[in-house]
Amino acid sequence: MPPNPTNPPDATEILAKADQLRGTLGTGFRDEIVKSLYNEAETIARRAVHAEGDHKYDFDQRIDRIVTSPIFGLPIMLLMLAVIIWITVIGANAPSNLIASGLFWVEAQAANLFESWGIPWWITGFLWHGVYRGLAWVIAVMLPPMAIFFPMFTFLEDLGYLPRVAFNLDFLFKKSGAHGKQALTMAMGFGCNAAGVVATRVIDSPRERLIAILTNNFVPCNGRFPTLIMLGTVFVAAAFPPAFASIAAAGSVVGVVVIGVIFTLVVSWALSKTILKGEASAFTLELPPYRRPNFIRILYTSLIDRTLFVLFRAVQTAAPAGAVIWILANINLGNVSLAQHIADFLNPFGLLLGLDGVILLAYIIAIPANEIVVPTMLMVYLGTGMMTDLPGLNDLKTLLVDMHGWTMLTAINLMLFALLHNPCATTIITIYKETNSKKWAALGALLPLGIGFVVTFTTASIARLFGWV
Amino acid sequence: MSSKKLSLPTEHCETCPAFTQLEQMGLSLDNFDRVVALAGNPNTGKSTLFNTLTGLKQHTGNWPGKTVTRAEGGFEFNKVRYKLVDLPGTYSLLSASQDEEVARDFILFGQPDCTVVVTDATALERNLNLVMQVMEITQNVVVAVNLMDEARRRGLDVDTRSLARDLGVPAIPIAARSGEGIHTLLSTIEQVVNGEIETQPMRIQGTPEFQRAVAELAPMIEAAAPGVPNARWLAIRLLDGDAKVQQALLSGELANLVTRQSRADVQFSKKMAIEGRQ
Amino acid sequence: MNLILWLSLVPALLVIVFAPRYGLRTLLGNWREMRTRELMEDALKHLIDREQQGRHASPESLAGTLGLPAAKVMNIIARMNSQNLIEHRGVELYLTPEGERWALHVVRAHRLWERYLADEARLPLEKIHAEAHRREHSLTPAQADELDAALGYPTRDPHGDPIPNRDGVLPSGGGTPLTAWQTNRPARIVHLEDEPELAYAQILAAGLRLGQTIRIIETAPERYVLSDGEAEYLLAPAVAANVHVAPLPESMLALTDAVPLDELRHNQRGEIVALDEACQGFTRRRFLDLGLTPGTTIYPELKNSFGDPRGYRVRGTLIALRREQANQVWVKPT
Repeated sequence: MPPNPTNPPDATEILAKADQLRGTLGTGFRDEIVKSLYNEAETIARRAVHAEGDHKYDFDQRIDRIVTSPIFGLPIMLLMLAVIIWITVIGANAPSNLIASGLFWVEAQAANLFESWGIPWWITGFLWHGVYRGLAWVIAVMLPPMAIFFPMFTFLEDLGYLPRVAFNLDFLFKKSGAHGKQALTMAMGFGCNAAGVVATRVIDSPRERLIAILTNNFVPCNGRFPTLIMLGTVFVAAAFPPAFASIAAAGSVVGVVVIGVIFTLVVSWALSKTILKGEASAFTLELPPYRRPNFIRILYTSLIDRTLFVLFRAVQTAAPAGAVIWILANINLGNVSLAQHIADFLNPFGLLLGLDGVILLAYIIAIPANEIVVPTMLMVYLGTGMMTDLPGLNDLKTLLVDMHGWTMLTAINLMLFALLHNPCATTIITIYKETNSKKWAALGALLPLGIGFVVTFTTASIARLFGWV
Repeated sequence: MSSKKLSLPTEHCETCPAFTQLEQMGLSLDNFDRVVALAGNPNTGKSTLFNTLTGLKQHTGNWPGKTVTRAEGGFEFNKVRYKLVDLPGTYSLLSASQDEEVARDFILFGQPDCTVVVTDATALERNLNLVMQVMEITQNVVVAVNLMDEARRRGLDVDTRSLARDLGVPAIPIAARSGEGIHTLLSTIEQVVNGEIETQPMRIQGTPEFQRAVAELAPMIEAAAPGVPNARWLAIRLLDGDAKVQQALLSGELANLVTRQSRADVQFSKKMAIEGRQ
Repeated sequence: MNLILWLSLVPALLVIVFAPRYGLRTLLGNWREMRTRELMEDALKHLIDREQQGRHASPESLAGTLGLPAAKVMNIIARMNSQNLIEHRGVELYLTPEGERWALHVVRAHRLWERYLADEARLPLEKIHAEAHRREHSLTPAQADELDAALGYPTRDPHGDPIPNRDGVLPSGGGTPLTAWQTNRPARIVHLEDEPELAYAQILAAGLRLGQTIRIIETAPERYVLSDGEAEYLLAPAVAANVHVAPLPESMLALTDAVPLDELRHNQRGEIVALDEACQGFTRRRFLDLGLTPGTTIYPELKNSFGDPRGYRVRGTLIALRREQANQVWVKPT
């Protein structure tokens, strides 16, 4: 049909013609296009590339044979995780204390200065002991672990190891009706669950992507590590000789991570059997060649892009949270602060879960950012009007066990609850943005919380039934 | 490829004066003259090249599909400001998965002045598939053969001149990590953008029926949207039943595309005339 | 107190029942209308089904298919009559051209949905018929066109039934029932009848699937024995009649010494012969894009702790595939 210059064909006419011509091409048309593209590519590449010798993938193969080997594959993975967490635990302690004392010294000086200027106590309190202290705490607690954790993680990422993790774990995800690439998004979740939710875009099937989004929160993010590390150090490590204390602490954190992975798999399975029913979709995963990481770039990207980015986000939420904490702790009804009233109100429910009211209050205040759970808790326990610096380990144990009735059950359930509760506000918002659905965002928030209640209630009941507490 | 001589130095050039012509502008994108898109398979070092050119330190993990949305940055070369758009890494533009759609839509509807396809010198055969798909959509293509250092280490000798001859577009050997070949790449982009290099992209022939069908359909599209640069590709997509292209045709977006493009051309030459740049 | 309660309750109830858009009355009316439309479309489908089999439909056969009492069926018939969709010849019912067009649209919508549910939503095969049946009534012809385009203009549904195109034309070639096929002649399964469901379930349970190459190795009054060269399949003759086969096409003959990719030993080279017929939609496109095209050399290079997935080297890149995927790629070991 020659085009008519005075009367160009309209769109429907063209479409009809395309339909008609398609009939002449047969069904394997698309196959044919791709095949001829690749055949042409092969010819051109053969002309342009000359290989000297045949040792193309030797190096990669040798590494791959070890890291994905039937015997060593999974243990190597776990060991690597344990080592990374262990280095984070032992490396972060000293700088954390240093930063904390520095920042708190600034606070004390500033407060004194304000006082000398005759500024009312509540302004000084609100600004310095509320907002500033919230910021200082979050920076001191988060910066060192992240500055240690992220470069190590980025190193593995740049190396090309993460797809091998997905490769190793895929058989589990397959059984759960999910996609092996979910392992990649979980790895991102260690850094930040919101980042993990965004990373699920690598999964093509909408069903499997939703599963990955809804379960990402079962990987404890960096902001929750301080809680886990503190509990691991105070309760678990204390049961071991000092030489092994840090290993025991890291081991208990690894244990929590493994429990998180188990929950991810079980919940993925349950979702794919109920509201997200369907078969596993096509699984194709590229295992890229190993690349020599560029150390300067790793340091730069992990420190600037990740650490400071996450820190900045935490700071944004910590400042208002610090203000709220200060207000709650300094407004008294009767002789008791507002914070204490709320904690008392929540206490029966908290005890039912093997926790207490103060812990629940801390988790409500910490919805914007999980990092401030521990400081808030300590503030209410000590009855001080501001978030409190971590006392020495022995003092801490005395405070929690002797004065506030903590048991091993409280510690274990708090570790479980740190893993299994609603995601932080940023993550919930990110889920909403990625799914464009309030329903999925709500489910993403309530599902882990519900599971957290059930699990802690169960462990508490079992412990009480057997008279362990 | 045109017979244009590339007389500029190609090896590590941080110290020579020519390299200083590249000015990284990071995110300052308010005012740019030209748009360059970066396409390529996953794990070809596309993001590394993006960082080298724009100065942005966007993170580049070594796992498939880490760039899912497109990132943008800017650089200035020989006093012309370029906006650089980093598209998601894909093997193809045919599957209509989320990342492929982002990449394809930008090349088709975003109408970049030049599309750089970053390829992995160690897996050229796989990468050329995408190169040819991009060449079906637009003819302003430059192939950057990246990871030349890696290829040398593995004992591979890549003849980019043979590649350029076969493909009909410039092919530049680079190593984005060390900066090797970046200057040549930039000046080639410049020449393609202002028409000093005229590309003649190689296109697949296909079966006789296929050729007949395309020959029949493409003129109709050209008649409906005069001046559309890729009628042939659109015809293939319609034959394949591409819902997105069908919609664009029905809604008249294709015709708009053409006018938008020519308007941009006029604006650019005006700007050049006023500021006396060449 | 009681009075106030009632005074406020009654208007509220009235609003709930009679509200213009979401009132119960409107909703009920809408629901009724939809239900009638569904029944009518099912009736049209029954009629075209019968016509294609060269049999005639009657009010009785209609009542049987729809599972409705005779009075209700007469109602529907009257309604279709008044809309000029069918005509009577004695007790036999025929579609008018208008009725046939509508019926073909419903058939098309049904089979497109089946294709979609199998390829894109990846529902198990035994579930797609019921789900497609639910969805077929809510598709306008324009939406069917869109679905058709999005699926890449399939010509057959997952059972091998032809999908009418937008003008209602059916692609040719339906295959022969297995019961009419010679013993020992290789054949390709081109259609699995999905009704009655019980027979279909037996076919699936036996392990037969679309696109499979088989031979009849034994026929007896009480059973058919089939083989695909490895496993044997037993079917009752009544069930075997629901399996339709066609001669092997030229290109498929090359497949006879091909094996699924999964059967390659570690590091054993193979040349890709074809992608399985059952592999359609997104999976097929993804495979092609990754360079799994006929003629390509491929070999398993990386084992996993559990043997699944495996990493395959193809066109210079290592790509992991699960066993299910690897079984959809036919290779000739070299």
